[in-house]
Amino acid sequence: MIGLPSFRLHRPTSIEEAVGLLAEHRDDAKLLAGGTDLLVNLRHGLATPSHIVSLAEVPGLDRIDCSPEHGLTIGALSTLESLATHPGVEESFPVVVRAARTISGPTLRAMGTVGGNLCLDTRCHWYNQSFFWRQACGFCLKKDGTACHVAPGSSLCWAAYSGDLAPAFLVLGAEIKLLSVRGERRVPLDRFFLDDGLRKFDMASDELLTQVCVSATRAHLRGVYSKLRIRGALDYPLAGVAAAARIAGGGTFHEAALALTAVGPRPFLVEGATEILEGLRANDEDAIERVAHLARRLSNPMNTTWAMQPAYRRLRVGLFARDALREMGERGP
Amino acid sequence: MQKEALRLRVNGSLREALVPHHRSLLDFLRDDLELTGTKRGCDDGSCGACTVLLDGCSRLSCITLAHGVPGRSVTTIEGAGQPGRLSDLQLAFISEGGLQCGFCTPGMVLAAGALLQRIPHPSEEQVREGLSNNSCRCTGYGRIVQAVRRAAGAPEETP
Ligand SMILES: Cc1cc2nc3c(=O)[nH]c(=O)nc-3n(C[C@H](O)[C@H](O)[C@H](O)COP(=O)(O)OP(=O)(O)OC[C@H]3O[C@@H](n4cnc5c(N)ncnc54)[C@H](O)[C@@H]3O)c2cc1C
Ligand code: SF4
Repeated sequence: MIGLPSFRLHRPTSIEEAVGLLAEHRDDAKLLAGGTDLLVNLRHGLATPSHIVSLAEVPGLDRIDCSPEHGLTIGALSTLESLATHPGVEESFPVVVRAARTISGPTLRAMGTVGGNLCLDTRCHWYNQSFFWRQACGFCLKKDGTACHVAPGSSLCWAAYSGDLAPAFLVLGAEIKLLSVRGERRVPLDRFFLDDGLRKFDMASDELLTQVCVSATRAHLRGVYSKLRIRGALDYPLAGVAAAARIAGGGTFHEAALALTAVGPRPFLVEGATEILEGLRANDEDAIERVAHLARRLSNPMNTTWAMQPAYRRLRVGLFARDALREMGERGP
Repeated sequence: MQKEALRLRVNGSLREALVPHHRSLLDFLRDDLELTGTKRGCDDGSCGACTVLLDGCSRLSCITLAHGVPGRSVTTIEGAGQPGRLSDLQLAFISEGGLQCGFCTPGMVLAAGALLQRIPHPSEEQVREGLSNNSCRCTGYGRIVQAVRRAAGAPEETP
């Protein structure tokens, strides 16, 4: 049994109070949403805050508003299950629901939130272990140590970003809203994630993610999410590919986008995919192969899991990308 | 250590205790209330042995703070049925042999109960998906799935 370390729990009842607490305690505070990532990490000594700010009693953060006219806004505290079972989102933004449904199982989805999912800590087999294990096998750069065991000599941490929703939101060009006592700022999601497993996000310790927004212009794109994992349920992705596109009446690709997760420290859009595919026929195998090759080339999985070899994860990225583009071309959402 | 009075409705009765902020719901149930039917497995949310119901929905109590669910109503396996008055689901687990060592059973029964609330007559696929946060290391799941489907009124399967 590994007990939770001692901390002071704050239960603000308004969003202003919540950001006030974050401003007061800064690096010594952590936000608690569903707790499915944070509480595990606290147990393992991966985070050691003195203050936990629970969002459970902050009203108004769990709304999902979805319409083809106004687009999609999702409150950060919406549960993964409410998103996975939302008929309106499934109809208008299918790639999001497809990604949400692959996350763990229904009990965990009813606990985990969208905000917590986007702000998930990066993962590595040298890191997601108990304190005892890490002490015995050697601490690493990401926590308590000085060297990276995956890329010795590197000053960066290569732990993999392993959230499933981020790539789905990336292909829809989503933005997020961050709130602090200094005010609100909107950040395009593709600029939120940093390519460094230590810093992870463009988010200060006093900021709170309040909303994810997708423009109405991205409604009714076809969408696919494919995920590589050991078991058919429960597991985090070891590689994930989200794809979205509009297939015009004549059967041509428009606004096509691909994004990858779990193959590097941040999820990212496959740059160049949109330009290659724009206006081409959806059965243009040559173009599809070029994009699949690009996705594979840009993915950079490292030895951060014992479950699968990086080369295999990379191979599957290419196959997922190819199959997703074919599937979108062949049939509806 | 910060302690605070906690009031929670557990299995229908209001329970009160002075509880530290960092106590998990699992520890509160097992250590403060001595309701040891809820099992401690992995302590990191991956096995489902600690599943309880919170207002009728399944919840992993090892990664839930006791102070994190104010005003909610908790059901543990002790509240799911009594000796001599077992629930239909518990009886189906017995008649179908849906357990061996029994360690995962409290969590399985509660997660299955929550599933049947959502989907009264689930298919085999839906039962498997519905119980996918609960691991069993003995039965191979076949008989558990069968038990849940029997409790939901599915006809007996011939081997
Ligand atoms: C067994 C198991 C399986 C899992 N499988 C998957 C999987 O397949 N795919 C997947 O993507 N995830 C998986 N997860 C991870 C996790 O459960 C989900 O990603 C979940 O959505 C996290 O949300 P949460 O609300 O529980 O986050 P929390 O644990 O509450 O928070 C996570 C992090 O985000 C921060 N945070 C939370 N909300 C906000 C906010 N509004 N603003 C700023 N920061 C915030 C917290 O401070 C913390 O650092 C799994 C977890 C477990 C235990
Ligand atoms: S990638 Fe290196 S520094 Fe990062 S968690 Fe793994 S071993 Fe540690």
